[in-house]
Amino acid sequence: MSISMALFSSPPPSPTARSPYPSLKPHFTHKFSLSPQPNNNNNNKKHFLFPISTPKASSDNGAGISGASATVDEARAEVKVSEAVKESSVGPNGAVAVVDGEPIAVTKFVDSKWVDGTWDLNQFEKDGKTDWDSVIDAEVRRRKWLEENPETSSNYDPVVFDTSIIPWWAWVRRFHLPEAELLNGRAAMIGFFMAYFVDSLTGIGLVDQMGNFFCKTLLFVAVVGVLIIRKNEDIENLKKILEETSFYDKQWQAAWQDETSNSTKK
Amino acid sequence: MTSSIAFKPFIGLRQSAPMKPYTNNQTSHNSKPNTKFTIRASKTSLKLTNRNLRVAVIGGGPSGGSAAETLAKGGIETYLIERKLDNCKPCGGAIPLCMVGEFNLPLDIIDRKVTEMKMISPSNIAVLLGKTLKPHEYVGMLRREVLDSFLRERAQVSGATVINGLFLTMDIPKNAWGNGDPYVLHYTEYDGKKGGTGVKKTLEVDAIIGADGANSRVAKAIDAGDYDYSIAFQERIKIPDDKMKYYENLAEMYVGDDVSPDFYGWVFPKCDHVAVGTGTLTHKGDIKKYQIAIRNRAKNKILGGKIVRVEAHPIPEHPRPRRLSGRVALVGDAAGYVTKCSGEGIYFAAKSGRMCAEAIVEGSEWGKRMVDESDLRNYLEKWDKTYWPTYKVLDVLQKVFYRSNPAREAFVEMCADEYVQKMTFDSYLYKKIVPGNPLDDLKLAVNTIGSLVRAHALNKEMEKVSV
Repeated sequence: MSISMALFSSPPPSPTARSPYPSLKPHFTHKFSLSPQPNNNNNNKKHFLFPISTPKASSDNGAGISGASATVDEARAEVKVSEAVKESSVGPNGAVAVVDGEPIAVTKFVDSKWVDGTWDLNQFEKDGKTDWDSVIDAEVRRRKWLEENPETSSNYDPVVFDTSIIPWWAWVRRFHLPEAELLNGRAAMIGFFMAYFVDSLTGIGLVDQMGNFFCKTLLFVAVVGVLIIRKNEDIENLKKILEETSFYDKQWQAAWQDETSNSTKK
Repeated sequence: MTSSIAFKPFIGLRQSAPMKPYTNNQTSHNSKPNTKFTIRASKTSLKLTNRNLRVAVIGGGPSGGSAAETLAKGGIETYLIERKLDNCKPCGGAIPLCMVGEFNLPLDIIDRKVTEMKMISPSNIAVLLGKTLKPHEYVGMLRREVLDSFLRERAQVSGATVINGLFLTMDIPKNAWGNGDPYVLHYTEYDGKKGGTGVKKTLEVDAIIGADGANSRVAKAIDAGDYDYSIAFQERIKIPDDKMKYYENLAEMYVGDDVSPDFYGWVFPKCDHVAVGTGTLTHKGDIKKYQIAIRNRAKNKILGGKIVRVEAHPIPEHPRPRRLSGRVALVGDAAGYVTKCSGEGIYFAAKSGRMCAEAIVEGSEWGKRMVDESDLRNYLEKWDKTYWPTYKVLDVLQKVFYRSNPAREAFVEMCADEYVQKMTFDSYLYKKIVPGNPLDDLKLAVNTIGSLVRAHALNKEMEKVSV
């Protein structure tokens, strides 16, 4: 049962179409056009024309290419680069392996702001400062794309992006604050009506309620409860986590449970 | 939710064994200076007249080989029964540095010294580990057939009898805890002719070490119970020389839902080819899909390769409920001693084989006395006490970092940190959980939480977006 992966070697690139790979800089103002190839069936896919930072120029082996005539455009969107069967993106990124002669459509994540395996922060500037929200958005889209279309990792094109370059306050502002607002709002509403309720029952006003130890305890419990249990599902999740943490221990302990029952048998 | 089984600390776990009414041969030993336990020859230990203790080791892999060697050196009449002496066990083939020293392995059985490890996240963020390694430190990659035969031959030289045979079943004496009736093994002996059906034989022994791997027959014979197991699937691919150069000292680990829902995919260099594989516990039926995915993720680096072998094997996820019964003990994969998170088994197999054999040697006073279940329990106790922290930590790591794509992204991000790399390699290479500097630990905890929070925040946004 041995399957041999046939090597599909790409014919040597035509010098005109090839761009030097490592020293590539995004050419946004570059009008990049290639002479249409006879059986080039890919150009019709290019209904969106955007600058491609890493042109995957192909040789003229009759295959379609990813590069298209580019226009300068600031809008950002991924260019879905579909390469047909015999397509080879020339360069160290390798050729498409043809398994059993079946066509495989290969797509690769390409974005104008994704340069050399990381986001080029210079392109995310707004009013002179980096717009971190858009960096976060870009990374979200990249990860979503890769989750749905997993891609080969590459030594020549390594991904080196680290989310910690985005400063902590950008994360707080984007993710923590809205949820904090929500929870605080809920807590405030609950608090107001509890205070009113207790007042109506016992006649003790808010200031005197706070002086009572029992009330303080209840308040503490309420705050902690809101922090831990934010949705109904959280209760189930917590129970599951508790069980998970002790499951492995129980499996290891099984050999010793056996002994205690054995010794009584003896 | 309270678990009815309280987690007892492992010290003092054993109830003191009930004293037998007759103590004609009882000798009490003071604890030897170099061991922590009081070694008591069991109460019923009979002094063996005109013969030594006979022990059979079923299975000739790392655990069987090291057990047989220790037994033979301890003066015990040892029989090592292995069904296939030239078996090429499907295996990752990685051993930690400490194994070379502890088991006196000659360096020529190590094919490759891996000094760098690349972790690749679901979104292909690649992190290189290894800059904290000292020049003499490495992860040894070897071929199982080479290691196994080396250990077996060493056992044979030490005095063990190696039998090429397949264990069938055993007759358990009625009173296995009692007066030392022998176990009777039934096995088929092969006389070396390929394709021969073999001759049915029996062998009487006093104790048995079950070292016959994940599908252990010994475990079945003693009703040891089942464990969850995952499937590891691997293809050996011979790639062109220029691509092989990249893997000269480097191994890769790929994480992602596409590659495995609860484990990782790998590209490990072997002697002259690479092994590309993946594994899973929860979705065994989809293993082919995961294999295609790992090949896809490594495509650029293995392009032009030819698959030379396809292999798969079960990997236990946790120990069996009963690891010993009477005078039969399980070691290695048969007992289920594979760690979580990394799936490492070779070192623990060899170490457990050795530990069990040592317990038998001590309990029998170098082969002069009959052993008892309590002597074998010593091995379990020592094993659990020594390695429980390692297993638990790896279990926690797996539960936290392999559960979802954002967790894996955070995991890879954390691996870029130098402190993490140092701690990881130290604990892997030397098999000791060494607590580091508390300030660094605190920083690590903060960074971990930060990474996890960021990755999960991104993931939540991802759900809102459709590309």
